[in-house]
Amino acid sequence: MEAYLVAIAIIAAIYVLLTLGLTLQYGLTGLVNFGHVGFFAIGAYASALISMQGMPLVVSFVCAAAIAALAAYPIGLVALRLRDDYFAVVTLGFSETVRLAITSEKWLTNGVQGIPGVPKAFAGMGIGMAGAVATLAAIALACGVAALMLRRITRSPFGRVIEAIRDNEDALRALGKDPARFKIQVLALGSALAGVAGAFYAHYITYLSPDQFIPLVTFYVWMAMIMGGVGRVSGAVVGALLLMLFLEGTRFLRDVAPDLISAVDMASVRLGAVGLALVLFTLFRPQGLMGDYTRR
Amino acid sequence: MTITRRIVLAGSAGALAMPNVVRAQGETFRVGALNPVTGAGSPYGSGMQRMIGAAVEAINAAGGANGRRIELFSEDSQTSPQAAVLAAKKLIEVNRVRAILGTWSSGVSLAVMPLTNDADILLMHTSGAPALSTPPVNAKSLGFRFQATNDRFGRAFAEIAAREGFRRPATMAFNNASGIGNTDGFRRAWAAKGNQNGEHVVYEPNQPSYRAELLRVLNTRPDVIVMGSFLPDTTIILREWFQTGTPMKWIIPGWAANPQLVQALGPAVTQGIIAVESVSNEGAPAFAAFDAAHRRAMGNQPGTANAYAAMTWDMANTLALAIEQAKSFETAAINAAIRQVANPPGEAVATFAEGKAAIAAGRKVNYEGASSVLDFDQFGDVTPDFGAYFIEQGQFNRRYVVKI
Repeated sequence: MEAYLVAIAIIAAIYVLLTLGLTLQYGLTGLVNFGHVGFFAIGAYASALISMQGMPLVVSFVCAAAIAALAAYPIGLVALRLRDDYFAVVTLGFSETVRLAITSEKWLTNGVQGIPGVPKAFAGMGIGMAGAVATLAAIALACGVAALMLRRITRSPFGRVIEAIRDNEDALRALGKDPARFKIQVLALGSALAGVAGAFYAHYITYLSPDQFIPLVTFYVWMAMIMGGVGRVSGAVVGALLLMLFLEGTRFLRDVAPDLISAVDMASVRLGAVGLALVLFTLFRPQGLMGDYTRR
Repeated sequence: MTITRRIVLAGSAGALAMPNVVRAQGETFRVGALNPVTGAGSPYGSGMQRMIGAAVEAINAAGGANGRRIELFSEDSQTSPQAAVLAAKKLIEVNRVRAILGTWSSGVSLAVMPLTNDADILLMHTSGAPALSTPPVNAKSLGFRFQATNDRFGRAFAEIAAREGFRRPATMAFNNASGIGNTDGFRRAWAAKGNQNGEHVVYEPNQPSYRAELLRVLNTRPDVIVMGSFLPDTTIILREWFQTGTPMKWIIPGWAANPQLVQALGPAVTQGIIAVESVSNEGAPAFAAFDAAHRRAMGNQPGTANAYAAMTWDMANTLALAIEQAKSFETAAINAAIRQVANPPGEAVATFAEGKAAIAAGRKVNYEGASSVLDFDQFGDVTPDFGAYFIEQGQFNRRYVVKI
């Protein structure tokens, strides 16, 4: 049981990192990024490929963050000209492009066959609980650092500017600020977080293939952010944990009521229950769990 | 605000602590069914899971394996590696299963096998990726593949193409590990015979039309098109091809060129198509038992409709026979016994009950499954023979069998 909880916690923490990145981009700056999974994929493949060349994981993690941030740069340039739904379409297209590039560039990524045998993090600590707990500790630390960083940003002049970009970009421009630089920085930073999340994912799952990086992942992150409360750092953490609770907790519905429904039907009922919970949640808690109730 | 947070935390902790289903019962052997009930594998997943359940019922009705009932825990892999990893963790850690049966897509099996290796339990799957046979993935040799590898299918295609006297084969592949594995296997084997490969087109899933891809292939004037495809895309491609009026021969894997395809397109379109399938034991007693169970569980659908369900049916039977043979519940002993009960020599048996009786009488058994004769090589792969089925007036006529 403990090992299962640790496994859920690791995946949940990966989603926390992703959600923190999106909170920075959408929650604080108002950039509608529907391509978050693209940066997640870039981080995962970058770290996997670099570590499989014999580099230590520390190096591969840094490279994952850096490469994901670099990949955000062209998207940032696009963001200067597009807003809201237009930007959303471009980012969605970007993430699909990343997936197709991974599928096609067989020399690098082994295409649809995927990359098996990605080195596990903390493999030196054995295969049992120790390694998993160490992984969890490392990723929890990363989440903590990211959350602190975001909290610092929201209270800094930088944070006030990006929130102003979200609320009224024209007014900001009229005041003589240039939103362009800030948007690019925010995109790069949020994507770096997604890249680190991808690296953790790669070294935890140990097998990568393009079909793991479908847009559904992006929308899971959006769900987590919306449930937690848009624009709140605490909301990102709580929302991601809540999402995992919905997704995994429903596995035990049948253990609670085993005779009501067959195992096969349960699989579909389970996903239905997840959807219903999400709908009810957004209906009755539109601001999210940690939402900002001072603003309307 | 604080109260809300506390309530949420308490609620989360409570919900996670609640499913304490680990019971210290010694009298059952726990098995996990991890199947693609939702997601891309959903056309097959429920049948696969129901057939594991049906086989387990039959095994328990026959007195269980080595004196213990088999207790089944079912999970949905969602055909997604990430969801499957968590589901497998749950099966292993919470339900304490001793084997996981029926992972379908290669992506899922490749992600789950490290977990089953760590837990030192068996994984029986129906995936095609060659990486699943060898280290590092199958480092402990605890993985068993009940489906022929995609590469073997490709080699069988090449044998059949050569035998039919084709000269300029083109290939079309669905863009995933399985589809491309088939055509790559074919192209390698075809080149190894000293032949020229023709046009090769890879197409993306879920398109309403494949006309552009199809015309690219037809324009090179091949004399046969070899497919690495699935049922929905094959249906569309063949319909669009028939509308062009170009005469063409097709070699298509049996999971795509099946009775449903003929039903969807009619005998005129499908006339002369060569469907290649590992020779499933249709006509064998094991298949009859499976077919009856499948009709019962799946609303009178015939067993031929779901080749993967036949494999999962065989998984449960093979596992139970191996436990019976090993007289042990230890993974190593069961693992060693699997080849003893599945491979020749031995008395051919078709059901668990039959095999159990033969083992009790001290005879060596050879389980001949519903999906194939199920003989495992040293990698845990089956090497079935392949049948070339020609579709004639809507009927599948097996003209010959190729060995690779």
